[in-house]
Amino acid sequence: MLRLDTTAQVDTPERVVLRYRLAGPGRRAAAYLIDGVCRGAILAVIWVIAMTAAVVLPGGDGIGAGGLLLGLFFLEWGYGALFEWLMAGRTPGKLALGIRVVREDGSTGRFSDFLLRNLLRTADFLPGFFAVGLVSMLLDSRFRRLGDLVGGTVVVVEDRERMLGTVAIEPPVSEEERQAMPTALALTVEERRVLEVYMRRLPRLSRERAEELAGLYGPALHDKTGWRAETWTRTLVLAYARAAGRER
Amino acid sequence: MSDREAFIANRQGRWSRLDHLLKTGINGAQKWSELARLYRSVAADLSRARSLDLPPDIVRYLEQLSANAHNRLYGSQRSGGGRNILRAVMVDFPVELRRQWRFFLLASLLFYGPFAIGALGALVDPAFASAVLPEATLANMEQMYSGDTVSRQAGEDAMMAGFYVMNNVGIALRCFATGAFLGLGSVYTLVYNGLVMGVIEGYLWSVGAGWNLLDFTAGHTAWELTGVVVAGTAGLKLGWSIVVTNGRTRAGSLKAAGPALFRLIIGATALLFGAAAIEAFWSASPVPLMGKLIFGAFQVLLVGAWLSLGGIRADDS
Repeated sequence: MLRLDTTAQVDTPERVVLRYRLAGPGRRAAAYLIDGVCRGAILAVIWVIAMTAAVVLPGGDGIGAGGLLLGLFFLEWGYGALFEWLMAGRTPGKLALGIRVVREDGSTGRFSDFLLRNLLRTADFLPGFFAVGLVSMLLDSRFRRLGDLVGGTVVVVEDRERMLGTVAIEPPVSEEERQAMPTALALTVEERRVLEVYMRRLPRLSRERAEELAGLYGPALHDKTGWRAETWTRTLVLAYARAAGRER
Repeated sequence: MSDREAFIANRQGRWSRLDHLLKTGINGAQKWSELARLYRSVAADLSRARSLDLPPDIVRYLEQLSANAHNRLYGSQRSGGGRNILRAVMVDFPVELRRQWRFFLLASLLFYGPFAIGALGALVDPAFASAVLPEATLANMEQMYSGDTVSRQAGEDAMMAGFYVMNNVGIALRCFATGAFLGLGSVYTLVYNGLVMGVIEGYLWSVGAGWNLLDFTAGHTAWELTGVVVAGTAGLKLGWSIVVTNGRTRAGSLKAAGPALFRLIIGATALLFGAAAIEAFWSASPVPLMGKLIFGAFQVLLVGAWLSLGGIRADDS
């Protein structure tokens, strides 16, 4: 089967394969736009300070203008590198989009990596609207633009996955329910998996949505065994409890 | 299914311990060795979770956990601090520049060659100057350097410093970055700027404003021109690493060039910041011409010594 893969693999010395989800052009463009807004805000602050200096200091006109120009320079050339360095691979835009720059082995980058990838942004932008960078990203298996190639970096999506702990069977299986169930459900491996994934998602689902989802699989189970509980949700919960040996 | 449940229940304590450890920060040898131990056990659990085909959220959780722990254990320490910057500028940069002397030589030729042609051409024949640059630009230059030393009002120096940084360092960094296109962007920038500067130089001497130009530029020339050429050096090296990969993939070749490019570009930036400071605060000052020339000669020696002697002891190792 052809798999459109958007993960990067890193083999560690412990012989574990770590997988990182790669950030595509869309997400990165969105982060870039947010960074554009941040740059604007920072520029506004610099402008206010420069204007104040121009009024307060003797000969302040020149100092204010010079400061403003210096600010423009650092916003253009230093913004990305500085934030990525200070915030472990994230600019404000990347933070908002949940993406991060890391080295190809998954570790946090050094200043030189961040500086190079940001300087090369100029080349990626050419001839306009990041055309070169986009082509490079689409040709590369890891969505790297020229800056990433030189800096040795990739942009990954940070999973904010929380583990849900052990599955709770709420309320516990009652005596009547236990007796109403068929002794053997004869579930396939695939069915067990479906049940398990369903149980893990259950705490995050609304009652209606849970029933709706259970209704996709419940009837098939009903056809096979001729048994069902009062709701489809409860049917799946009970089937899981039996299959996992967790009736008590 | 029950052994899978048991597996999860069994290991969960360790997982959350590692999770906690990563969140609270690690200090002391004991914590680090605990981290290493937990990481190995969680990494093994991850393999087992994959082979048991555990639910995706658990596998993802374990992946994330082991990835974080891995980064903590193998991640590079964040480098920084004033001493590193000083070392990068004073030692790493000149050493790297000498190592890349072929590119430096080529960049110098690409810059000073057109400069010489432009200067000689404009000196011999004013028509040559106006063929390269518009009359208005030449007239503007002539007017700028016709009177006495360029005089400025108080505070204007600071403004010019900001301008020189934004303009000149910007040009140099762009010169470097566009080297990514087989070096062509850098070649263009070097040749174009060399020619234009040469033509202006030659033209101003031919109309008798040469001494005024020299008065203004003597102090910062060594810094500025060298900075542009070094940026071009980095750009050429960048373009070259795409063409000649020495058996690596193109991406691998680019990545391998990274550290050298970083050292060169730090040097180019330092040179141009120095040039901007001198140009803004010294070059337009009312010091007599002789003073400017002595200062300028001293700068040439200074930059020359920096680039040829900096880190020379580190060179051998």
